[in-house]
Amino acid sequence: MAEINPFYLGTFVVYLLIVLAIGLWGYTQTSDVMDFWAFGQEMGPWLATWSFVANFVSAVSVIGFIGAVYGEGYTLMTHTIFGLMLGTSALYFAVDRVRNLDLLTFPDIIASVTGYQVARPIAGTVLLGNGWLYLVMQLVGASLLVTTITGVPYEYMVWVIGIVFIAYTVLGGLISVAWTDFLQGTLMVGAVLLALGYMIFDLGGLTSINQQFASLNAANVHPTGQGAYTAIGIIATIVAFFGTIFTEQNNIVRIAATKNVRAAKIHLAAAGVILSVFYSALVILGGATTVALDSNGMAVQTQDAAFPALITNYVPSGVGVIIILAVMSAILSTTDTRLHSTGITTARDIYSYFRPDSSDDSQLKVSRVATIVFGITATAAAVNPPGTIIELYNFRAVLLTSAFLIPVYLGLYWVGLSGRAILASVVTGAILGVATEITGGLFGIPSTFIGVGAATLVLVVGHMLLGGSEPKGGAMAGD
Amino acid sequence: MTILGMPDAMFLVFVATLLAGSLGAMHYVVVHVLLGKPVNDLAADRAAEGGDSTKDRATDGGQIDGGN
Repeated sequence: MAEINPFYLGTFVVYLLIVLAIGLWGYTQTSDVMDFWAFGQEMGPWLATWSFVANFVSAVSVIGFIGAVYGEGYTLMTHTIFGLMLGTSALYFAVDRVRNLDLLTFPDIIASVTGYQVARPIAGTVLLGNGWLYLVMQLVGASLLVTTITGVPYEYMVWVIGIVFIAYTVLGGLISVAWTDFLQGTLMVGAVLLALGYMIFDLGGLTSINQQFASLNAANVHPTGQGAYTAIGIIATIVAFFGTIFTEQNNIVRIAATKNVRAAKIHLAAAGVILSVFYSALVILGGATTVALDSNGMAVQTQDAAFPALITNYVPSGVGVIIILAVMSAILSTTDTRLHSTGITTARDIYSYFRPDSSDDSQLKVSRVATIVFGITATAAAVNPPGTIIELYNFRAVLLTSAFLIPVYLGLYWVGLSGRAILASVVTGAILGVATEITGGLFGIPSTFIGVGAATLVLVVGHMLLGGSEPKGGAMAGD
Repeated sequence: MTILGMPDAMFLVFVATLLAGSLGAMHYVVVHVLLGKPVNDLAADRAAEGGDSTKDRATDGGQIDGGN
């Protein structure tokens, strides 16, 4: 067992107490189900911006991305981050349509464009599975990191983090989540910039970092890792990540929570700028981490251990504490949002479909119970995560993008598009995308292309064949 | 040829990513701030006309016209 670091542990405990206090305050501000689900649809542009940023940056972003740079160099910018940033900006251009629908969840939108209400529980179940897997992965990452840093055994740390984030999410719903996000987002961006500033000073400047990084391996500073990634592979990854921005339940819920279209547009515009700066800084920090560890003989066995090693073995404690708070913020802000999404998906997309006359109070209760149940089961799974969860998690981006991106968003713009063709397209994209991801592509074509391509083909052909039949989906906002 | 210690192509990827993330902000500033074009806000129009909103429909099961 690692030695307990009282300084880091104390910081961690204070941090958890602060977010719990925000959760308790959120409880006093939550009077009905719309407050819990969508901040009463009163979220202003700046709170929405920081909430989006904080949710966007996860344990995968901070630990995984720095680890990826440690292992593969700056090519991460090309195949992953570029697609994410392009997706955020593209959603900005579609957000008025989405907000004007005045619907709460992604399954609501699917039901709206297809005309089939049964799409709500079906899509809701898919998104619920996706959200739960994401929760488990985040908790595993969070607990491993905090265990490494504080010395508290992993099995205890999982439950401590799990119970805290379940508690404040259940108490105040999106009100707690958004205000803790505001704190966490500010901390994250500030701390990463501070850490990068420290490393630039410590290693003799930005140019020096890049030169030393290149001297370790020239592929480190090459856009494709000197051929490690093919052009078609990079484009497929860009498309997959681009698509997830449009199809994540939490992004749609946040858009619904904004007070008007103006706030919705500003929050995506501003978040795009903040995130692109943040991720550029994070990738350079990954390069600096690699240089620092290598030049001091601190090479790590696994790439995900690179950033924790920098914190515990390289930077001074004062800087380390700030980075730890940033990492904890990255983890909790994403985890609470996904947990909140499981509550709203269960109550809004599944329960209310089968109980359309259920009261406001009963839906609030279902949301809270679902939040607790999914939170506890995810925490329990994170104590000893089965390998299948990690494998399933890899299908997430392919599944969401293949199934939903083309049919749902084309449905928003194409007046009179056949609802049956949209449904057929969703099912085809999902099946072919996941199946070819499992088999590792088809004839060398990446699974995302097959899923998205098949969904598009079925949509167009289906509309030509079924265009005269009811229901008519599509385009009811802004026309 | 290098910029900030990295090859031109890598530097361009960083620039392209910053631009990709900033497209929305550039559009908002030019179109809605400098040119003063209003945002397409039907929800505000509906509210002004006293129409239904999601808030009013929170617990109606999300039913919409034309559904099954």
